[in-house]
Amino acid sequence: MLKMTHLSKVYRTEVVETYALRDFNINVNEGEFVAVTGPSGSGKTTFLTIAGLLETFTGGQYHLDGVEVSNLNDNERSRIRNEKIGFIFQAFNLIPDLNVFDNVEVPLRYRGMKAAERKERIMNALERVGLASRAKHYPAELSGGQQQRVAIARALAGSPRLLLADEPTGNLDTQMARGVMELLEEIHREGATIVMVTHDPELAARAQRNVHIIDGQVVDLAEDPRFHHAVTSARANTTA
Amino acid sequence: MQIKPILSALRRHKAGTFLIAMQIALTLAIVCNALFIIQQRIAHLSERTGIDEPDIFVIECEWVGSPTSQQADARMLEDLRVLRQLSSVQDATPSNSYPLNGGGWDDGIKLKPDQLQDSSGTTVYLADDHFIDTLGLKLIAGRNFRPEEVARIDMRDRLAAPQVIVTKALADKLFPNGDAVGKTIYLAGNPTTILGEVELLQAQSIDRWAADFAYRSVIVPRRLAASLGGFYIVRARPGQLDAAMRAAPAALFEHNPRRVINEQDGVLSFAQVRARAYERDRGMAILMGVICVALLAITAAGIVGLTSFWVGQRRKQIGVRRALGATQRDILGYFMTENLLISLGGVLVGVLLAIAINLWLVTRFEMSRLSMAYVLVGVAILLLLGQGAVLAPALRASRVPPVEATRSV
Repeated sequence: MLKMTHLSKVYRTEVVETYALRDFNINVNEGEFVAVTGPSGSGKTTFLTIAGLLETFTGGQYHLDGVEVSNLNDNERSRIRNEKIGFIFQAFNLIPDLNVFDNVEVPLRYRGMKAAERKERIMNALERVGLASRAKHYPAELSGGQQQRVAIARALAGSPRLLLADEPTGNLDTQMARGVMELLEEIHREGATIVMVTHDPELAARAQRNVHIIDGQVVDLAEDPRFHHAVTSARANTTA
Repeated sequence: MQIKPILSALRRHKAGTFLIAMQIALTLAIVCNALFIIQQRIAHLSERTGIDEPDIFVIECEWVGSPTSQQADARMLEDLRVLRQLSSVQDATPSNSYPLNGGGWDDGIKLKPDQLQDSSGTTVYLADDHFIDTLGLKLIAGRNFRPEEVARIDMRDRLAAPQVIVTKALADKLFPNGDAVGKTIYLAGNPTTILGEVELLQAQSIDRWAADFAYRSVIVPRRLAASLGGFYIVRARPGQLDAAMRAAPAALFEHNPRRVINEQDGVLSFAQVRARAYERDRGMAILMGVICVALLAITAAGIVGLTSFWVGQRRKQIGVRRALGATQRDILGYFMTENLLISLGGVLVGVLLAIAINLWLVTRFEMSRLSMAYVLVGVAILLLLGQGAVLAPALRASRVPPVEATRSV
């Protein structure tokens, strides 16, 4: 589903080159729930923005759903983002001027979908996240957890092949975070491929697989003993 | 189309939207009326006088020593003889006034002596038998005056002439059947017979009060021999206007130096006469034009300013839209459509406002009714201006990268 080979991302200034990702390799299969972890500044978010075609990369290869994306133009990248990828952001990123219904509708409009189909998909997505009754509410009228659920509904409404989540519970309290995480697990059980960036070992423990990044490279989780221990403990608690 | 979500978003930004829409409305209302006034002034500027303007110039001559009417007449006849002898001059005629002069003699014409109301107003041109040829008027019926039919008249004399020549406009007004020649009319209370008809001769005044009889002129075969002096209308030979304008005053002074011809405006080509006559109209048209341009520029600046502010404010939102699949074109289209919707609201109010302002001008200043063509032109200008003004900030918005969605504010 998602395969990056020897991928690199370099930020250049006049005096210095900074490698955000270096010889980065990852392979996410269809239907997997992968947690991408690592300390701050390790390159997690850079990986996510490249995976989501929000940013280009400097070298290497990236195949998304079998398509090599490095040669795609801006319009083609937009189309793939719209049709194949669903985004869940840490800060929810709902459009404050639009109500819940219109927010979920945004990606569907860019797909050129007919109004009747849009409405059906929006209501299905909102029912799935338990917010159908809040369709006319504005983001400012919802709690953080509800806003993130709307963002998930927006990501789901377009039936994407890949769901990319960037610290999806980072702005939520424990209870709300649990609810959002359960929703993501439910979506995964229904067959979605999810790649979630997090620095929270408890959330990482609930994913099928962990990919740990340090200094822009994928490393064995054991190379970060403290995080490894935290994830292992969390996983043991979850199993118990 | 994204009209519904754009309208939803605009409802959340009522103040900015309202202010820009009202600015557009006010600009449209003023621009429509200003364009209408400009057009009217320009039309006024291009009204025909009926005379052969390129070869004509006017000399205003004042006598020194307050001659009697007989002396003034004698001097005038001498002057005309001198002028007509110049090689660069084709003909010359005395007159109390000329088209676009802005001063002269206007009177009323009646068809019956006991008539209470005038049948028409008219401008009275006192002239000799050279008047028609000098001015290049076209005689379309009857005949010109004979030299013996031209007499002297003093400022204090009653205007009584047995025959006059009228313009076609005056003839048609008085005798719509087209048989004016030979008919008797009453000018200044005295009967006179229409001897001939000229095609076109504009009144001396182009002011609004004279608009009703703008082309209803009457030519009376009388030389105004005033002690103060008078006008000579001179027609230069083709291509010799400048030479004639230099030669004529020199010849007059050489013949009789007891006169004053103002160095500034004693000798004026008809082009100068026209420029002076329409100075106010041209000034008004320029002023209106400047107001239009300034208003349009202010409105465009307002649109650029507000859209730039909104683009800056919504940078993250634009990034989110791009992340969710919007192309650069979608973002460009969003801002262009948003502006179009605001502009449409503005022009809708502006059309009503334009009509209201015009109605006020019609009742207050007797202006003409505003043609809807001007409203449509104004609407088109404002909509295009809006789209043009929003283009630069909209393009800037379209270049916001999708990765902006992941950046914290």
